[in-house]
Amino acid sequence: MKLIQKTSRTYLLLSAIIFILSGVMLFFVLTSVMNNRLDEKLLYNKEVIAKRIKYDYPLTIFDTEELTEAENRAYPNDTLIYKDTLIFHAIEGVEGVEEYEKYRQLTAYETLQGERHKIITRNSLVRNQDFVSIITLSTIIIILLLLTGLLILNTLIAKKIWKPFYMNLDRLKNFSIQDQNIIELEPSNVEEFIELNSSIKNLTQKLQSDFNNLKEFSENASHEMQTPLAIMQSKIELLLQSTDVTKEQSKQLQSIYQAGQRLSKLNKTLLLLAKVENQQFSTKEEISLKELIERQLENYEDFIVNKNLKVTTELSDDNIITNTVLADTLISNLLSNAIKHNIPNGTIEIIHVRDILIFSNTGLPLDQDPENLFSRFKKASTLKDSLGLGLAIVKKICEVNDWQTSYSYEDNTHQISILFRT
Amino acid sequence: MKILIVEDEIELLETIVSYLQNEDFICEKASTFFEAEDKIISFNYDIIILDITLPDGSGIDLLKFIKEKSSKTGVLIVSAKDSLDDKLKGLDLGADDYITKPFHLAELNSRVNSLIRRQKFDGNDTIQFNEIEIDPDSKGVTINNKPIELTKKEYNLLLYFITNKDKVLTKESIAEHLWGDNIEMADSFDFIYTHMGNLRKKMKKLGAPNYLQTMYGLGYKFTDS
Repeated sequence: MKLIQKTSRTYLLLSAIIFILSGVMLFFVLTSVMNNRLDEKLLYNKEVIAKRIKYDYPLTIFDTEELTEAENRAYPNDTLIYKDTLIFHAIEGVEGVEEYEKYRQLTAYETLQGERHKIITRNSLVRNQDFVSIITLSTIIIILLLLTGLLILNTLIAKKIWKPFYMNLDRLKNFSIQDQNIIELEPSNVEEFIELNSSIKNLTQKLQSDFNNLKEFSENASHEMQTPLAIMQSKIELLLQSTDVTKEQSKQLQSIYQAGQRLSKLNKTLLLLAKVENQQFSTKEEISLKELIERQLENYEDFIVNKNLKVTTELSDDNIITNTVLADTLISNLLSNAIKHNIPNGTIEIIHVRDILIFSNTGLPLDQDPENLFSRFKKASTLKDSLGLGLAIVKKICEVNDWQTSYSYEDNTHQISILFRT
Repeated sequence: MKILIVEDEIELLETIVSYLQNEDFICEKASTFFEAEDKIISFNYDIIILDITLPDGSGIDLLKFIKEKSSKTGVLIVSAKDSLDDKLKGLDLGADDYITKPFHLAELNSRVNSLIRRQKFDGNDTIQFNEIEIDPDSKGVTINNKPIELTKKEYNLLLYFITNKDKVLTKESIAEHLWGDNIEMADSFDFIYTHMGNLRKKMKKLGAPNYLQTMYGLGYKFTDS
């Protein structure tokens, strides 16, 4: 629900409650005022009747009632009793109009001309019901007016005041930390939006500068590490050229050399992972997976032949759009994984149809949780020369491209599939 | 053949120089941007090995300067960054090749040699080693003037050995040369062994002596001594 809808809904709810309450209040106030007036009128009528009795004027009396002995004793002179009462109301000979109607009634007890009298005057209260309906109707009309007014106002406000907000929201959605452009925000004259804009600006600038620092750091780290490694490696290679190295020394040199090699490979791979993570491979182009896979198969031919693996491919001509280096690394890692974890005389099946790529290979069941398959440094215990980063890189590449990866194991076959969503 | 090596790490610079001097190249050293610029102005070089990150300037700027001065000079960029941007920029600006740190000296030497071949003779020269003759252009090899049928890998292996003759080549360096440095396969060394065996057999058939020596399981050496 939009903020503006939420606030206007609250406003509407509140005003509806207030209107209903004030309607009820209005009803009671009006009734009490009307009753006061009515009571005055009843009193006046009573006075008129009393005067007429007093001075023996002829009196038109609709109804007479005997004053009971009990009443006579109970009410002294000048007693006034106001009350609401229901009187059966009917017009003779007319059907369907009989009903009880509400009346306001004054009963007075007085001694007139030496005789006790009970004077009753009444006035119809029918108009009270009119009040209720008038008040309800006007409340409903006012609420409806308020509703339409608010709706119109909201659309206008949304169009004018909220427009920069929504525009900025769109720009934020499209914001990429890699873009070195500073985010341009639509100006607004609303204080909250001005504050929001400046906060967003600060935040994005900080993000960009942090990202750049990180990038610089990883690049510097790489430089700082690669150079000593290069020195180590080349010094050993130079040392190997000298003729007076004994067999024992050469064995030790070999260990140092291999450790150095391993270190530099690890460093390179970790850097690649960091770069993929930092989305530093952002230039995209159309790539033929078919060509790429065929080229990689050729490169890995020795390894495939050595294990006597049977490779079957079903490759469509559909291209994908991504970064060349990433696509290359992805296929190379998937293929090397399929070879490495294969069994002698096993099979590899590569299928690329439309936006799905499937690598299946025979192999022993995983000796670890499939959940960890794509994690860093999670490797099969049997392969100690493996760095355990191959599938972590695959996963990362898929993540930065918004592709989905899944893994399954069935009938001694591992299957890794990638869904390219475009 | 005159080579200028621009590298700010003195240790690495010395190592490269001492390896290449062994190959009968005349090597000059520069460890700063300023020094390199100075030498490029004063002398002519056939090949310049150029580190991109220098303490007092960028190798990319130096590259522009080199190409302005003499476009015939072959430039091999050395970088620790391994970033595609640098690579593309370097190659766009006229660098001839690109190698990432850390590298094998034999690989560097082989790149330098291939640069020289391309540059001096437009790639039309053959490489001679006793009775072996390699034509890099057609990738054909003859022994005692008889053609020898080699697979792509065997050819690359032979060329790598002859370019780095009398040098111990480690298995790691050979594996990287043959399959690229992204290969992370333990059994690649077995394949080197297989390819070496096949190469030996084929060469022996055509009357070439066994030039390939195994060095304590560490690597191999191609030599006629």
